[in-house]
Amino acid sequence: MNGAYPTYAAKRLAQAAVVILLAYVFTFVVVSILPGDPITSVLRNPQNGFTEEEIAQIVAAQGLDRPVLVQLWSSLSGFLTGDLGLSMRSSRPVTTMIAEVLPSTLILATSALFLAVVLAVVIAYGTQVVPKRYGQGLLRAFPSLFLSVPNFVIGLVLIHLFGFQLGLFRVINPDSAWATFFAAITLAIPISAQIAEVLIASLDHEAGQDYIAVARGRGLPPFRLFTRHLLKPSSLPVVTVIALTIGELLGGSLITETVFGRTGIGSLVQRSVSTQDLPVLQAVVSLAAVVFVLSNLIADLVYPLLDPRVKLLGARTPRTSAPKPAGATAP
Amino acid sequence: MTLLSTAAAARLAPPRRRPALPPLPVAAALVFVALVIAWSLAPGLFTGHDPVAGVPADKLLGPSLAHWFGTDHLGRDVFARVVFGSASSVTSALIAVVIGVLAGGLIGLVAGFLGGWVDTVLARFVDVLLAIPKFLLAVIVVTAIGFDTINAAIATGVSAVAVFARVMRSEVIKTREATFVEASFLSGGSRWHILARHVLPNASRSVLPLAVLHFGDSILVIASLAFLGYGDPPPASDWGLLISIGKDYPKWPWLVYAPALVTIATVLSVNRISRWLRTTD
Repeated sequence: MNGAYPTYAAKRLAQAAVVILLAYVFTFVVVSILPGDPITSVLRNPQNGFTEEEIAQIVAAQGLDRPVLVQLWSSLSGFLTGDLGLSMRSSRPVTTMIAEVLPSTLILATSALFLAVVLAVVIAYGTQVVPKRYGQGLLRAFPSLFLSVPNFVIGLVLIHLFGFQLGLFRVINPDSAWATFFAAITLAIPISAQIAEVLIASLDHEAGQDYIAVARGRGLPPFRLFTRHLLKPSSLPVVTVIALTIGELLGGSLITETVFGRTGIGSLVQRSVSTQDLPVLQAVVSLAAVVFVLSNLIADLVYPLLDPRVKLLGARTPRTSAPKPAGATAP
Repeated sequence: MTLLSTAAAARLAPPRRRPALPPLPVAAALVFVALVIAWSLAPGLFTGHDPVAGVPADKLLGPSLAHWFGTDHLGRDVFARVVFGSASSVTSALIAVVIGVLAGGLIGLVAGFLGGWVDTVLARFVDVLLAIPKFLLAVIVVTAIGFDTINAAIATGVSAVAVFARVMRSEVIKTREATFVEASFLSGGSRWHILARHVLPNASRSVLPLAVLHFGDSILVIASLAFLGYGDPPPASDWGLLISIGKDYPKWPWLVYAPALVTIATVLSVNRISRWLRTTD
């Protein structure tokens, strides 16, 4: 393994770089070429109230009068040097706009990820210790239930119960601790379902192993058995799932931030969609792709180090062929 | 001897038929999905109320025998709005699944069957699609092609292409290397014959449960897009749109809870059916 690892790491790194670049090009194609000429149609929209001179200025400033390939090239080289262009609405640098709202989304996303892992471990622990006739089946149905509820409904129900009925937080003050907590719960629930599904399948597999029977036979209490023997070997597939759900945290923040009235990446997207501010959308989507690719890269690089049994097949086969983690249903 | 013959018999017997009666939860799920489909085909049969024109005097009534889900701020029957909205929610989810299955299936089929550089190129393309968060991808596609329910369905379908491509590809590769395919090839079967007769039917077996699962998923994504206002504007009554309107009336929670429960029940039923299809096949 030691000999193969550097090659494996180098190949994965190169592959990640290629995917990030292609994702940028793909987004560029979707937002700027697909629908004919959305840019001038947005600018000429009477609601926006631009005069012809202003339109000409914006078109020149954004370089929209150049051929598409030239635009793509300058946009791509900007992206590589960390320059994401100017907003079409406010003419402010997109990087600044993102930097302003990023902390709020980071707080939301990290607390959601933390809550999701805790919730998943609690549910998975329950499926291992709760006897069949005392509702183990119900616990096992939780992930499927969580994945069937629209995210915004979870948010609305939490706001209704804890905001209006119990008065724990006001929607007018979305940055209070309680409001952040419930927003994070909203975002966490579908993510926790995916982690729990994989964790439960993996725990079920480990629980059938001989060493568990031995530990149980020695009289180890269930909680010790779970924390000392079951959790560590079962949590390896979870690393992969967490990496896969990172992107969803960003996508989900769009709904959650809208429902809870928070500012953040999600509400920035929401605003840019309604004003058709394409440079901002392009930047956010590329950023999301970078985050997703990097977190999967880290997971793939860490995995062989955590589990020496893993053969470095990934060094040859493209990632698309990697088997989907057992229970990860709705990606 | 007996052991051996039963084992051999089990292997030689024709493929096991599905049990005649599905388990009770699956039966309930099937009935509910059938009901929702019936709602979308003939909404008029299920409610006597008009989904668009309300009775202003009856506004914001609680659920009762006359109005199962209560009435909204214009005095319209919420049950009628849910029933009449199901056509658009069900059709758009169907469109999304068809796009995902056809486009994703084709990519996966070509990549898996041809292999080589075609496979590598398509694999990178699928990686790119996977790298963009699904919901964000649906949002930018619908932004690019315009806000209405059909476009939201197309966007949702595009965001599902990668998953279908991946599953289809691995199924095709699995089948292509099976002994019976080799046998068919050796006995003179052409590539097209093998593709149509062996690879496709075998691959579709695992694509079907995934398609059913994605039907539920698409309902959620389309409802989310409608919730954000990227679908048809009112008086359309997509489930997501109903919930979105209902949220502005927090004192009358059934305006949110009624359409939300129908959405959840539908997705839950569809997911249960998908799991049943996966385990019986």
